Amino acid sequence: MDTRAFDAGVVLSALPQLLEFLDITLLVGISSIVLGSLLGGALAWAKLSQHKILNYLAQLYIYIMRCTPSIVMLFIVFYGLPALVEAVFEENIHDMDRAVFAIIAFTLLFSAYVSEIFRAAYKAVPQGQYEAAISIGISPWGAFWHIMLPQTAVLALPNFGNSVINLLKEGALAYTIGLIDMIGKGNLIIAQNFGAYGIEIYLACMIVYWLMSIGIEKAFGLLEQRLDKGQLFSSKAGKKQEVFILKEGEASGAGL
Amino acid sequence: MELDFDFMEKTFGLLWTGVPVTMEITIVSLLLASPIAFYFALNRIKGNPVVSLISRGYVSFVRGTPIVLQILLLYSLLPSLLNVIIQALGIEFNIFEQVDPIYYAIVVFTLNTVALLTEVFRSALMSVPSGQLEAGVSIGLSEFQTYVRVIIPQALVTALPGICNITVNLIKGSSLAFLMTVKDVMAVGKIAASFGYNYIEAYLDAFLVYLILCTIIQLAYAGAERRFGAYR
Repeated sequence: MDTRAFDAGVVLSALPQLLEFLDITLLVGISSIVLGSLLGGALAWAKLSQHKILNYLAQLYIYIMRCTPSIVMLFIVFYGLPALVEAVFEENIHDMDRAVFAIIAFTLLFSAYVSEIFRAAYKAVPQGQYEAAISIGISPWGAFWHIMLPQTAVLALPNFGNSVINLLKEGALAYTIGLIDMIGKGNLIIAQNFGAYGIEIYLACMIVYWLMSIGIEKAFGLLEQRLDKGQLFSSKAGKKQEVFILKEGEASGAGL
Repeated sequence: MELDFDFMEKTFGLLWTGVPVTMEITIVSLLLASPIAFYFALNRIKGNPVVSLISRGYVSFVRGTPIVLQILLLYSLLPSLLNVIIQALGIEFNIFEQVDPIYYAIVVFTLNTVALLTEVFRSALMSVPSGQLEAGVSIGLSEFQTYVRVIIPQALVTALPGICNITVNLIKGSSLAFLMTVKDVMAVGKIAASFGYNYIEAYLDAFLVYLILCTIIQLAYAGAERRFGAYR
């Protein structure tokens, strides 16, 4: 059997075609990140609350999600949700855009990952500050919004950035349910060439993902540097250490 | 929505036939990746700047690209590459029919795990004070002995949670091996699903199997951490 040599030109010539579909990849990624962060915030709140049942439920949810492969989640949502909606609301959503199913699946997964990050970051802010704010007459909501949240956000930033990169990488799986995103388009190009140029096309996709990952990492690094300026708590070094340990555990993150 | 519980029960039993394959990929990849990752980690801390640079680039690339793409790329690349090599050597061997795809899966996941483990090992090694190496050498141990007897036992305990994380992620990640026609848990589920269009039931089963697998692994690591915590 004759083997065709690697054609580097195809990597370059395929890039514009692939980049045309980058917006779908990004749409799925960014929507999941925004929705997942909101759900993750709610989960972190549930896990921090004194309410026993709420606490337990959040913990169970996070545990289950962390044990579920993204592809299994994606398939369960893709096949299960239409059946569920049909049974409960008698509504047919089989023809809904596949991106919606991908976004729902990744939102469910992402929320579990980030809720742990949010919770750890919130715990790392000295709780006395909240009490101090209440004692000088700021409302509980104001104390949370103006004093605790900004500091939590800065502490959560490095790990959050990691999770964002991981989510973007997991988003690559969306093509398995037939969504035409960047990889979906890549597979179409390969099919048009009767299965040839697989290596070149996949390599081109990898380069795009790699550049995106590096870009996000740099962006979060810069953001952290900028926001870190206002941070002056006395035990800063200690708190940083605490979050750093979490980061090690998270180093692999959802390393798919 | 009506779930076919009979089918679920039957498939649930069937899916366990895929567990040995999933575990083989996970364990073999971890074992193969560990020495390479350790070598990279050591060089990242102190050592050859060239190796350090290569390992940094490698870690960045592997961590910056989706594993699906790594699988798709290597699965298109490896068989033809091996074929070229074998033909050049003049050996009569049909690579496309006689190689179990699980070997390709192990290669992909090993390459991926090397990158993740390097980071974990690096931070674990850095957590051991460097004075201990000097102290070990000053009382007459060789550098190798100091590493094996003093530094690695301590670093390993620090690394355990990270390694646990990687193992769980590897189990989850190996669910993509079906793309390489490996018959792991996910592949068995997919075949069962397409046979009678029982998609939801089969994937719910797969979900349960992975949940149980990950729970067992996490309990095992928690036990190990308690046991070896003394070395910290």
